[in-house]
Amino acid sequence: MGNPGDPGQVERSREQELIARAQKGDRSAFAALLREHQDEVYTLARRLVGDPHLASDVAQEALIRAWRALPRFRGDARLSTWLYRITVNTAWTHKNQAKRHQGASIDDHLDIAAPVDAGHPEIAGEILELRGRLRLALDRLPDPQREVVVLKDIYGWSHAEIAESMGISVNAAKVRLHRARARLAKDLEETA
Amino acid sequence: MSVVCEMAAPFVANSAVDGVDVMRPFRSHTATCLKCQARHAAMTRTARELAAMEGVRIAAPADLEWRVMASLEGDLAISRSLNRPMAWAAAVVSMAAAVLIWRLRPKTS
Repeated sequence: MGNPGDPGQVERSREQELIARAQKGDRSAFAALLREHQDEVYTLARRLVGDPHLASDVAQEALIRAWRALPRFRGDARLSTWLYRITVNTAWTHKNQAKRHQGASIDDHLDIAAPVDAGHPEIAGEILELRGRLRLALDRLPDPQREVVVLKDIYGWSHAEIAESMGISVNAAKVRLHRARARLAKDLEETA
Repeated sequence: MSVVCEMAAPFVANSAVDGVDVMRPFRSHTATCLKCQARHAAMTRTARELAAMEGVRIAAPADLEWRVMASLEGDLAISRSLNRPMAWAAAVVSMAAAVLIWRLRPKTS
């Protein structure tokens, strides 16, 4: 039993209430959920497809799909996890419909840098430089390889979850990840 | 750079990300190879940075909420119109009129 005063518990209760209202067709409740989760949906879309405009379309469609599927959401998983799955599926659909934008500029990535320790400028500089190279290297990976790296190494999905979501075997997901990491390492080494 | 280093590279990368030992066939090589150890260290840093990206959010475009809600409004308008008997009646009458006009069209022969 969670502590009723626990901020996390309060937040979850509030979210459950919003979900219940949205499931009954309350659009203002859905709008509140949307405001809460749109950044994470867009972030995942952006990491999966690279291009900001395409990511925006993916996020929009994923959230519309979420509204339509919400009555079937049973709350077995967290809402954010459920939204991630919808976003991944939507990204697959869009990927097949649109040509992938080639090579986002490095400026596109600067807004997503996490803060680094300003107390050690040399280390901070190194980390920023690595992050810049890492994001460009991720963009250069072929779509299927980038997708497994994003889902496994950033979002911590299991091989089974990735395999199910991509419609491939667990073994194929492992092999794809294996190759993707090797390619990423090689790319980073070459651009060092 | 040796052929063994190249063969070991994917295993070195994976062991660094997953935090496990390099697979047995390459373990003795990587234990003494400075190049492979440097690769392992670099990939460990990379894995840390990848994991750190999860907590980093990119702000969604300012108009995303509006676009989604506007689409939902369209959805609701369609479903509302399908629920109205008058809308159905109008659609049926229009179709019947179209068929009638088609049948009564002047013959050209």
